[in-house]
Amino acid sequence: MSRRQPELCRVLAIDPTVRGFGFAVFEGPEKLIDWGVTQSRRNKNEWSLRKARNLLDGYKPDVLVVENPNGNGSRRCERVCCLIEEISGIARHRRIRVRTFSRGDIRDAFAKLGASTKYEIAAVISRWLPELKTSMPHYRKPWMAEDARVNIFDAAALGLTYFFEVGDT
Amino acid sequence: MAQRKLGNYLRMHRKKLGLNQGQVAFLLGCKSGAIVCRYERATQEPNLRTALAFEVIYSKPIREIFAGIYDEVEKEVSRRARRLAKKLSKEKRAEGGRRLQMDKEPHS
Repeated sequence: MSRRQPELCRVLAIDPTVRGFGFAVFEGPEKLIDWGVTQSRRNKNEWSLRKARNLLDGYKPDVLVVENPNGNGSRRCERVCCLIEEISGIARHRRIRVRTFSRGDIRDAFAKLGASTKYEIAAVISRWLPELKTSMPHYRKPWMAEDARVNIFDAAALGLTYFFEVGDT
Repeated sequence: MAQRKLGNYLRMHRKKLGLNQGQVAFLLGCKSGAIVCRYERATQEPNLRTALAFEVIYSKPIREIFAGIYDEVEKEVSRRARRLAKKLSKEKRAEGGRRLQMDKEPHS
């Protein structure tokens, strides 16, 4: 089976959050075609699965990229682990390749660009993809809750980590 | 499986400009953003004037905004063009053959 060049790949990256998930859809490492956050206060997993199905059916990606909840640096609750498994199952059922990366893998990929914290990674991504500049969250102080827009950057970081890895091989 | 482009990239261009569907609908002269949603989801195709309006709003050519549809149309037209070329080539050969035969016949 021939390997498709990364710049021709359509990649959907999903990063689950407290109430839903952030997502980013790429056609190559420099072309972001959709991004956003979806949230629900009730039946979070059911809502998230419905939205994930819509994205998978609408964009028909070549690859789904999600976090590896059991990997190095990942601390995810049981609900999110189940959600990631179910979304991966839906993708595999649609014959979409699934790739997972841990938080540690993402940090290692962006460490080469001088970014280690979530905010620094978001800043690097907003320079790489200027359309995300307006979504850039404020610098978070220890007593502040996490801005929901961070999840867009978390998803974008997952997608870009995939392209970094594929580009390096 | 060959990589196919999306039917349209309306949502991408709208988000890059930081507009919502209601605002784009206003620019198109439509009443609500629901129609823009239908265009973006490709459940409805815009007419020519609306497609040209999108080109004006996003400052991108139609073939780039509706890249997937453009590729499909290009394939269909190319296929028909090849069939037409074959047909014309056959007719030309037949025409040439008839002329040759006429030249060989003795003049009365």
